[in-house]
Amino acid sequence: MLNLLWILLGGYVAGILLPFCLPQEPKAQNLMASVPAIVATSAGVVLGLLGLMSSEPVTGSLASTIPLLTLAIRLDSLAAFFVLTISVVGLAASIYAIGYGRHVEGRASVATLGALFNGYLLCMTFVVLADNGFFFLLAWELMSLLSYFLVVTEHEKADVRYAGVFYLIMTHVGTAFIVMAFLIFFQGAGSFSFEAFRHPGQPLYGGMKTLVFLMALIGFGTKAGIVPLHVWLPYAHPVAPSHVSAVMSGVMIKTAIYGLIRVYFDFFGGQFPWWWGFTVLFLGATSALLGVMYALMEHDLKRLLAFHSVENIGIILLGIGVGMIFQSYGLKELAALGLLAGLYHTINHAMFKALLFLGAGSLLHATHTRNMEEYGGLLRRMPWTGLFFLIGAVSISALPPTNGFVSEWLVFQSLFLGFQIPAVFLKLMLPIAAAILALTGVLALACFAKAFGIAFLAQPRSAHARHAEEVPVPMRIAMGFLAAVCVALGIAPMVVVPLLDRVVTPLAGISIARNILAIDGWALAPVNVEFSSLSTPVLALLLVALSLLGLALAVTFGGRLKPRRYKTWGCGLNLSPRMEYTATGFVQPIKRVFSTIYQPTVKLETEFLDESRYFAKRRHFEFHIELIFEKYLYDPLVAFFATLADRLKVIQAGSLHLYLTYIFVALIALLLLAV
Amino acid sequence: MQVLSSIGSQLVNVCSALLLLTCFAIVAQRRLSACVDLFALQSAFLVVTAALVAYLTGNQHIYIAAALTGVIKVIIIPRVLKKIIDRLNVKRELVMYINVQAGLLICGGLVMLAFFISQPIIPLGSLLTRDSLAIALAIVLIGLFTMIARQKAVTQLVGFLVMENGLFLGATAATHGMPLIVELGVFFDVLIAALIAGIYTNRLQDAFDSVDTSRLTALKE
Repeated sequence: MLNLLWILLGGYVAGILLPFCLPQEPKAQNLMASVPAIVATSAGVVLGLLGLMSSEPVTGSLASTIPLLTLAIRLDSLAAFFVLTISVVGLAASIYAIGYGRHVEGRASVATLGALFNGYLLCMTFVVLADNGFFFLLAWELMSLLSYFLVVTEHEKADVRYAGVFYLIMTHVGTAFIVMAFLIFFQGAGSFSFEAFRHPGQPLYGGMKTLVFLMALIGFGTKAGIVPLHVWLPYAHPVAPSHVSAVMSGVMIKTAIYGLIRVYFDFFGGQFPWWWGFTVLFLGATSALLGVMYALMEHDLKRLLAFHSVENIGIILLGIGVGMIFQSYGLKELAALGLLAGLYHTINHAMFKALLFLGAGSLLHATHTRNMEEYGGLLRRMPWTGLFFLIGAVSISALPPTNGFVSEWLVFQSLFLGFQIPAVFLKLMLPIAAAILALTGVLALACFAKAFGIAFLAQPRSAHARHAEEVPVPMRIAMGFLAAVCVALGIAPMVVVPLLDRVVTPLAGISIARNILAIDGWALAPVNVEFSSLSTPVLALLLVALSLLGLALAVTFGGRLKPRRYKTWGCGLNLSPRMEYTATGFVQPIKRVFSTIYQPTVKLETEFLDESRYFAKRRHFEFHIELIFEKYLYDPLVAFFATLADRLKVIQAGSLHLYLTYIFVALIALLLLAV
Repeated sequence: MQVLSSIGSQLVNVCSALLLLTCFAIVAQRRLSACVDLFALQSAFLVVTAALVAYLTGNQHIYIAAALTGVIKVIIIPRVLKKIIDRLNVKRELVMYINVQAGLLICGGLVMLAFFISQPIIPLGSLLTRDSLAIALAIVLIGLFTMIARQKAVTQLVGFLVMENGLFLGATAATHGMPLIVELGVFFDVLIAALIAGIYTNRLQDAFDSVDTSRLTALKE
């Protein structure tokens, strides 16, 4: 297995170096970056699968000259699961990059982009493999920095630079918290190795433990995009090249989930009070609901998807949070179920979100705009992209028989089982969380009905959309691959669940695959078959059979089925794209219902003809929603620091002598203090 | 042997005192070229001190450090500074933040402070150069003070170099010389710093028609 690791490492390193060997040839450079990445990610997929299968963790380490830093890796089942997720998405993104290179040419250096992308995947892989706190932080920081450079690929644009700086600041604030958490661990353990973190010389006591919990939650939460730390996400993810967005949104934010599970379940061994789990659950529910609600109001396709990442991270945290609650009450089986649901949704979200981002990239490639209001009628022009995007949309809306449905169903089940907890407060809270999840699911469905309908159906709304063409083959292969994975993960939970069980078993201390898989493994039944059970293969068969039945009935009793081509009837008017349902119009009812949260401002200015007040010459409609977290949390914070900096300006007089005097006085004061 | 060691210790003290004396001379001197000459003289005393320490302790590598001091601080840097002074045609420092008399008084106070501070440290070492550490600290403080009190970039550079001399004296006296590699690094740093400061001074002249660093406040927004 270590050989595979060397292939992976070699592939990425080759992908970093080779593109620079051929100056002036963007096409060849692109291939030189993508092909090694494909090799490396394939190795990663195999490595992840083997790691999941093997019973013993694989370890390896390399001493370094830097004190406290050992380049130690450990491939246990949790790490293997995340390596697998990263590699599958990385593989699709690398294939996609072959076709996407043409879009990048002329906007940025293809070689630099390719090299950065390889380095980025490499660092992400080592984040989950690292077995040493120092090494982990190193990989984490490199991952953040490289992703910053990827975000600012098109740095000539001001909004890209703004997004980049915003991201950089947020991610560093997050990293600072993680560093503090690790330093607290280091205090007790006396070493940075994860093994020492697990079994510290001086175990952490109450207050310190809580501190670590909060620091890890804030630190990893910033990367994951938990509300209210999510604000950077809708800026940074959309402006990156699309295959990079896919990896960022699909898997990079999942490394934070990895970090949380590693710290709470592995380092603390699942020993924590119930309110930890409740906090995670609460944040998860908030993120899920607010994420989808802001996504609904978005008309920039990639921003919409970024907000959906916030939502899905929330759903994952719902699973993990409820698992943590069960764990602290000693309900091991249920804890395992919650964790499993969270992890299942982790891999599912990675797949369908990457698929959707690649789809959005294809639309961007074909129409040169991210604004949905300029799409329309693309299904006829880009049938493959449309099909794959539809599969992604169905998955993210949690409709059977795709993967999103299975994992959300499992999250629901674990929330419903909250009645087994011997605390009234939680007994009340868990059903509320389930209700929020249900609302989230419905809103997500509405959102993707809008996204797909506006983008792909009806008539083109702009010249861009009218002249759109299907994207190159590699991009279609990449999307097709992810779409197939989405469907496979949905239809075959009986294969996925035992694999996930191997991840969960060491964390929760109990194996539940046997309990969950009922009826010879063809159905899932978390408690018992009477309470609830689900068989997606049967569901899929039913869906196909029912549609066939409908077709058969139509053919038998529907009479003549002769296609007639004619324009849509428009009451005698000629239909134009301006009459179409707009994205803004579509979400109008939802905006009304939730106006307390959106705080929308609508501005309608009408210019009348001079002759008569009854004829309007021009109308200007403006509508935007308030981003409450930015307005009420971040803006005051930024203003506070700006004021503070202004105050400090007083001592910065610009005089060299004055500065020297500061140093002199400080030196003498310190010397006197030392005496 | 006892006698020799005691005489050696006396000699080191004398040389250190001479270093300190040149510091006062620099503070009192208004002519720039004379300041540079005094710095060269001070460096020459430093060479003698280092050589004495090398002889008394038998550490061969301090000889090398002493030789390097001789080459760089007695010959090269003063020449560079003289050239700058010639090119810029600034002979005298007319305006000072603190006049000479007050400056000398403050320096006297700094020497007392240095002795006061190093009092608890001195008994700890097995020094043949008991008072050198305090003197070294005093030289560092006076160097820094010179940088604050003077306005011309050249004299500020001299102040910086004086500080460096103080540090070198301290290192030789207190630890019988740092490892050679460290000393080489420090020499290289000082040389580069002096060259950069020389270029900076030239630039300053070009930009402001003066080497008065107090004009730099104009750079502030």
